[in-house]
Amino acid sequence: MSDFSVEANGLTKYFGNYKAVDQVSLAVPTGSIYGVLGPNGAGKTTSLRMTLGIIDPDAGTSRLFGGQRPQSVRHRIGYLPEERGLYPGMKAREAIAFMGALRGLDWSEGRRRAAGFMTELGLERVIDEKIRKMSKGMAQMIQLIGSIVHAPDLIVLDEPFSGLDPVNQERLEMLVRRERDRGATILFSTHVMAHAERLCDRIAIIARSARRFEGTVDEARALLPMQVRYTPRTAGDPAAVAANLPSGAELRGDAWHFAIQDADVEPLLARITASGHGVTGLSISRPALHDAFVHIVRQVDAGFDADATEDAVEEASA
Amino acid sequence: MTPFIRSMFVVARRDFLAIVATPTFLLFLLAPLFMVAMGLAGGVGASQLADSARGAGRIVVVADPADIEGLRAADTRLRTAMAREPATLDIRIVSPANADPVAIAREKGSDTYAVMSGPLTAPRIVEREQGSSAGRYLALLAGDVLRARAAGPLPSVTPGFESLSSGGTSIAVQQSLGFGAVFIIFLLTLLLAGQTVSSLAEEKGNKVIEILAAAVPLESVFLGKLLGMLGVAVLFIAFWMIVAMGGGLIAAAQVDPAAIAAAGKAGKATAALASMPATGWAFFLGIGFAYFILSFLLLGAVFLGVGAQAGSVREIQMLSLPITIFQVGMFSLSAGAVSAPGSGLAHFAQIFPFSSPLAMAARAATDDAKAVHLLALGWQAIWVALVIFLSVRLFRSGVLSGGSGWKFWRRTRCAGAAATLTESGSPQSH
Repeated sequence: MSDFSVEANGLTKYFGNYKAVDQVSLAVPTGSIYGVLGPNGAGKTTSLRMTLGIIDPDAGTSRLFGGQRPQSVRHRIGYLPEERGLYPGMKAREAIAFMGALRGLDWSEGRRRAAGFMTELGLERVIDEKIRKMSKGMAQMIQLIGSIVHAPDLIVLDEPFSGLDPVNQERLEMLVRRERDRGATILFSTHVMAHAERLCDRIAIIARSARRFEGTVDEARALLPMQVRYTPRTAGDPAAVAANLPSGAELRGDAWHFAIQDADVEPLLARITASGHGVTGLSISRPALHDAFVHIVRQVDAGFDADATEDAVEEASA
Repeated sequence: MTPFIRSMFVVARRDFLAIVATPTFLLFLLAPLFMVAMGLAGGVGASQLADSARGAGRIVVVADPADIEGLRAADTRLRTAMAREPATLDIRIVSPANADPVAIAREKGSDTYAVMSGPLTAPRIVEREQGSSAGRYLALLAGDVLRARAAGPLPSVTPGFESLSSGGTSIAVQQSLGFGAVFIIFLLTLLLAGQTVSSLAEEKGNKVIEILAAAVPLESVFLGKLLGMLGVAVLFIAFWMIVAMGGGLIAAAQVDPAAIAAAGKAGKATAALASMPATGWAFFLGIGFAYFILSFLLLGAVFLGVGAQAGSVREIQMLSLPITIFQVGMFSLSAGAVSAPGSGLAHFAQIFPFSSPLAMAARAATDDAKAVHLLALGWQAIWVALVIFLSVRLFRSGVLSGGSGWKFWRRTRCAGAAATLTESGSPQSH
């Protein structure tokens, strides 16, 4: 068995004259949970579609399970598309069995497993209900079950959490972890950082059609300096307090906010202790994945704006 | 079973059940009843119209009293020999009231087709339409009266009729059998295959297409859908075959066999039944069914492919007219081929893939070669595969990849634009 369930290299896709995906590479270790993060319209869905061979890339290749073409290993993949879709006239159990049957699962086995999954996820009430009678969230859970009912080795979920209430989001996280424990590899896209932070072993951040970051969640958070929140005990002259803090410290209410490098933590503590202003509150923490994400995306956007200005200047001078 | 065939049947099963297990399907299944009812109503109306018209029509002879007897006798003799029986003969005696034939012709209350007046040797015939059969009949009548008078009493002729009950099958009957086959296959395909044009619209509408495209090869989706529709069509045909056979049996049980035999002697339909298609009835019916399936698959594949490109229900509705015209075109081509077996047109219709099933079914009626049908079926099957392959290619590169609003005629322009962008390089690369 290969170390990587997904190896996509240099995937590129044009929609007309728009480069929707530019040289995106993904390497998903077998048995891991991998998140593809990115703002809306960044190219996440197109990247996943190319990875699975649903659409052909204009450049680049995608290989699954150690060098196999995606089309030849369809029965080992489970996929939840971004645009949810089920036949509204089908009963839930049949819909799940149908999706399993498409991937080569026996109909009766599919029906049996469908009932099991639905009971487990608190949906036993609607097992024989038609899809059109269900709420959107319920239908989404049905489709999710349908995409993993054949116990695939690779599960690809495109924005699986959107449209679910917190309880169902929790259930979905549980399901994802359990599938991973079963031995499956999970690749999912999202723009909600909290899920990625809790679930993912590794993440890739895609913005403006290209991959901007790849690594663990901690590595992403380490891109930004640590954030300090400091409240002095004595309400003295702000300028005197600020003198002990790095430049750029900002007073909001009682507390000072600023960022410091890893190496500056101990010296800062020493300075604060020595200053005599006292401490009623002090927190030093890594920024959340959310901040790292926003940071990366902003950087990319700023680069684009600069480029646009440059282009404009070039055009004007030409 | 290979995964391809397997997934094809999964799709076909879903489609078949989704169509059959709805109340609307009953309406669809029973739709021919409406057609029959309409046909009956129309037929009754038409025959009533014909009856009333027949009663009103007449031809008039204004004759000398001496000629009346002869005219009646001649009319009785000639009337039955005419291909179409002339209108009622109205004989009037010459009088000042009947002096003007034009006035008689214009009398209200009945259609007067022709009026003959004057001496029989030089009659004056006023007719409504120039050279009408009514006018010619009156002239013939006059001549016959004179001939009978000149020859004196004639011996009566008592002919002994013998019908050619087993004299082989005429080419004309075989051709009409062929035409019947073409017509039936055309009608069934027209009624049933046109639905395939909208069958992918459902998946595109409810986004299931992406699940299908991710899970199975698109070729098996297309073929599966086609098979599902074919299943519906075959169910439809089987239902009506059983109804017709059941109805036939019940009717046969209630009707006296002697009456059937008596009716059979006169009926032309029984003559056609008694004759044989060149390849024999069993083979003809079997191969006809096979050709129906191929015709359905071929046209269905084209419509499915075209329909898959359509972006909205309205586009699909707009497409149904050209599609119907295309089918009628194939029908006319094949019908032309039937009337001229062995001609260049016939060969073209038999080889051209979309008319081939129709034309070949007709050929089975007139030509006793059987091996050629195997060849034709293979040839048509290759075309089914080819059409599916092309449709899938178009669908993949278009609808699935291009997001929304993609049309195949825009393709080259987009490719050109993409090329320009590559040359200029992407913004983030520097």
